Amino acid sequence: MGSLFRSETMCLAQLFLQSGTAYECLSALGEKGLVQFRDLNQNVSSFQRKFVGEVKRCEELERILAYLVQEINRADIPLPEGETSPPAPPLKQVLEMQEQLQKLEVELREVTKNKEKLRKNLLELIEYTHMLRVTKTFVKRNVEFEPTYEEFPPLENDSLLDYSCMQRLGAKLGFVSGLINQGKVEAFEKMLWRVCKGYTIVTYAELDEPLEDPETGEVIKWYVFLISFWGEQIGHKVKKICDCYHCHVYPYPNTAEERKEIQEGLNTRIQDLYTVLHKTEDYLRQVLCKAAESVYSHVIQVKKMKAIYHMLNMCSFDVTNKCLIAEVWCPEADLHELRRALEEGSRESGATIPSFMNTIPTKETPPTLIRTNKFTEGFQNIVDAYGVGSYREVNPALFTIITFPFLFAVMFGDFGHGFVMFLFALLLVLNENHPRLNQSQEIMRMFFNGRYILLLMGLFSVYTGLIYNDCFSKSVNLFGSGWSVSAMYSSSHTPAEQKKMGLWNDSIVRHNRVLQLDPSVPGVFQGPYPLGIDPIWNLATNRLTFLNSFKMKMSVILGIIHMTFGVILGIFNHLHFRKKFNIYLVSVPELLFMLCIFGYLIFMIVYKWLVYSAETSRVAPSILIEFINMFLFPASETNGLYSGQSGYTLVRKDSEEEVSLLGSQDIEEGNNQIEDGYREMMCEEFNFGEILMTQVIHSIEYCLGCISNTASYLRLWALSLAHAQLSDVLWTMLVRVGLRVDTTYGVLLLLPVIALFAVLTIFILLIMEGLSAFLHAIRLHWVEFQNKFYVGAGTKFVPFSFRLLSSKFSDDVA
Amino acid sequence: MLEGAEFYFNVDHGYLEGLVRGCKASLLTQQDYINLVQCETLEDVKIHLQTTDYGNFLANQTNPLTVSKIDTEMRKKLCREFEYFRNHSLEPLSTFFTYMTCSYMIDNVILLMNGALQKKSVKEILVKCHPLGRFTEMEAVNIAETPSDLFNAVLVETPLAPFFQDCMSENTLDELNIELLRNKLYKSYLEAFYKFCKNHGDVTAEIMCPILEFEADRRAFIITLNSFGTELSKDDRETLYPTCGKLYPEGLHLLAQAEDFDQMRRVADHYGVYKPLFEAVGDGSGGKTLEDVFYEREVQMNVLAFNRQFHYGVFYAYTKLKEQEMRNIVWIAECISQRHRTKINSYIPIL
Repeated sequence: MGSLFRSETMCLAQLFLQSGTAYECLSALGEKGLVQFRDLNQNVSSFQRKFVGEVKRCEELERILAYLVQEINRADIPLPEGETSPPAPPLKQVLEMQEQLQKLEVELREVTKNKEKLRKNLLELIEYTHMLRVTKTFVKRNVEFEPTYEEFPPLENDSLLDYSCMQRLGAKLGFVSGLINQGKVEAFEKMLWRVCKGYTIVTYAELDEPLEDPETGEVIKWYVFLISFWGEQIGHKVKKICDCYHCHVYPYPNTAEERKEIQEGLNTRIQDLYTVLHKTEDYLRQVLCKAAESVYSHVIQVKKMKAIYHMLNMCSFDVTNKCLIAEVWCPEADLHELRRALEEGSRESGATIPSFMNTIPTKETPPTLIRTNKFTEGFQNIVDAYGVGSYREVNPALFTIITFPFLFAVMFGDFGHGFVMFLFALLLVLNENHPRLNQSQEIMRMFFNGRYILLLMGLFSVYTGLIYNDCFSKSVNLFGSGWSVSAMYSSSHTPAEQKKMGLWNDSIVRHNRVLQLDPSVPGVFQGPYPLGIDPIWNLATNRLTFLNSFKMKMSVILGIIHMTFGVILGIFNHLHFRKKFNIYLVSVPELLFMLCIFGYLIFMIVYKWLVYSAETSRVAPSILIEFINMFLFPASETNGLYSGQSGYTLVRKDSEEEVSLLGSQDIEEGNNQIEDGYREMMCEEFNFGEILMTQVIHSIEYCLGCISNTASYLRLWALSLAHAQLSDVLWTMLVRVGLRVDTTYGVLLLLPVIALFAVLTIFILLIMEGLSAFLHAIRLHWVEFQNKFYVGAGTKFVPFSFRLLSSKFSDDVA
Repeated sequence: MLEGAEFYFNVDHGYLEGLVRGCKASLLTQQDYINLVQCETLEDVKIHLQTTDYGNFLANQTNPLTVSKIDTEMRKKLCREFEYFRNHSLEPLSTFFTYMTCSYMIDNVILLMNGALQKKSVKEILVKCHPLGRFTEMEAVNIAETPSDLFNAVLVETPLAPFFQDCMSENTLDELNIELLRNKLYKSYLEAFYKFCKNHGDVTAEIMCPILEFEADRRAFIITLNSFGTELSKDDRETLYPTCGKLYPEGLHLLAQAEDFDQMRRVADHYGVYKPLFEAVGDGSGGKTLEDVFYEREVQMNVLAFNRQFHYGVFYAYTKLKEQEMRNIVWIAECISQRHRTKINSYIPIL
């Protein structure tokens, strides 16, 4: 049974870490992940602890590293993830690392700032050229179509908008032109109109290519606008409005030559900027590539360092301030490992006085550690989800490994479905080292973690499917049915005999839609089918009645065995915790109650199966009535199940007495317990009334619980029935329809029908039904099984281990 | 709204109400304040705030940390939350949100106009503007020379436009006029908001009306207090009082006649709600200021707003509580950075 039966023994150890070597020791401990630290400074707030400065430094390093990773990702440089995780950096290296990183950050910030500036410059120039290009068309259009200018004295067309001409007219015409964000155009125009009271003319056109904002990287659509206005006052206002709407305003050239000149100048400057920008980007890339090589190990190292300081913050200083005292929980089996790790740490730091440890006795409850492997992990998780086991109590996970898949399979009993599930799980198990499966998300991850559970569930479903003789709702005739139809039709009897025995003749066969096989006729029933249900039931109309009775009884039997087992496990707990009186006063009465009522029910079921045969079946009494009568009228003289039944009443009376005594006995138990506690603690007040109440409630709860829990196990029957019916419906509605069609079209039709059948089988029967059976199996374990013995009030052992730190970049970026 | 709108409330606003209640749970607790007060440096404040719901909102700030950096980041956080609420809201909750932002918008407009008066650049003042009251036309405020200009050119399309009806005048904008404008705007804003909540009915009216009544009366008191010893005439003063409070109408008349703090206190004595507040005000040297007392009362009302369900008041209350919390943090941070620890405990505790 090993370590899975109970959690491991723990001991509280005190570590005396010399202040010079504490860091190295913890680094060694973290690599091994042996111990759980206790927080000795709980009432000190986080910023008043000893090593807060170091933690701050780690955070600063993390900030720089996050910045580096962000920049590297932005430049699309692949980040190499190392296979091995580097150890926490020695203290001497930390400063060096910090300096190096800080230098890198400063350099990087400078280069990126330069780059941004260059890009912004470039963008401005590009915008300017766009503006020049677009506004040229505005002016031309104005010249040709704008009626506003008709009232001016006729001038030559090409110089109409010439600035100097306008000046000659006495009105000072001004232009403001630039670019504006697409979304703001409308509001901008309105505001212009209102402020300037219509003394402006605004023309704008959409820029065909969107430009990228260098700061946010957003691609924005722009409009080019040109505002012409008279008078300086309005000009000021227009400029202010432009500022308000964050327009990019560029000087507007007055003459065509000027425009050309500017454009040429811009083009050369853009060319220059491009080359400079390329150079800068190349340099930046070089820097980043160099940084990318070491960034992974740096990230891991800083994380480890931070974890170490967090742990050191939990230690307290001794009086002389020379060494740190840490209190840790450590499994007893690992104590020598712990010693070795401390030695290693001391040796590494070259300290003269070694760090050492000693165990200290404690009354506190240690954390629970149950070592698992990849097979048992899933089952342990099912148990832990209900509650982590109390220290050293019997761990139900061990038994869950078999009972869980079995109970699941009872509800999921189908040979075919089970086999598909088994194959799926097998696929996962065989490929479990595949990296894509390891990193899969959400639902797939859930399946992957439960692959061994799935595997066993599939296997057991195959088994129960064989017993139920169900394969996609059809039975398989492997060994030949034990029933023979021809015997019903035998002609060796006289007609009178035939009538008496209900044998068939031609007229009966012809006129009756339903015929009944009678097992009492010799030769009709030749003995049971070797494995599971006889396939002939698949044809019978009373198949459901037969299966219901079988499955119902089976689930009650399984349930009671399961619960009785739970009560017996309770005895192991009492033995281990040295509470002998609990065995006599709790477990034995509980067992008696369970066995005398429900054990007797099982006995009756089995007895009836064995004793009554086809011939005597008509006189067989109903178990249900017998069972009820047993409680109500012990003297009722119906013909009982068996001859000595009245004798049982005596036994039953005993059991009833047991029931009535149970309450008081439990009270005694309560007394004993508290007296024990009284001796130990000397402080807990003895309150008889309260204890009486809780014990009475407990007794009643157990008695009622037994009944309701037994009823609860009927879900095994209900779910298995539902599953069988659902798969039957799927078969009749799809495949049978497909098979009935004519041979010529049938082939064509059968293909989509089978495909649909497969899809529905997987989604409804395998996934949906599987999930519901899974949930019910979990419930049966958590409630019906575990409440018989499992307290589950422990805390999990969480070792200080670097392996628990995530070694991904993802959460740095986030 | 129909009678018993509680039935339908969750269809439209249930998600947001749940969200805002969750946000309210993240307000700093008494224990947090006790820890914050013990901090030695701003770095300690940052470390402590990291353990609360603020998370590492200061992580990207380069050293050295200053109070204003903390303040801006906190405001940004509140603004993000508020924007989220607002973007996911449906009518009439979105109108309610618009009303909520109006008060910040008024403050921003006044701030910008004052800045323009003192010939400061717009950018410099924009930093100081509250992000909740930001709107695009805001920066053009300094174009205007007179209130009517301001209305016609800049604010006509903003939610502030309806509040301008009472204050259209051709006066030039000097410092006094701006202050008058602010109070008039605020008066009509409060009245409009009050009317909106009243018309909305249901629990929203039951919760919001007392809060807004209190807000109106508080303004009346504060205006009175600030006008002592200024050239503001008593009639002018009365026109500035919001008329939706409990003081309306008799109390406001009396307040308009008050000439010093004692007379004001006598007016408040007529009202059961305000009497204890004025009694709590310390005299001169020690004790609380009138402002602090009002703040405490406001916090109390806002916290109580969370006791009822199916109303919009929670959004208002949450924003106000968060603001108060930010004021507290800034106060504590200021005390720490200026090494002026004697008054560090006079933040307003949020219950």
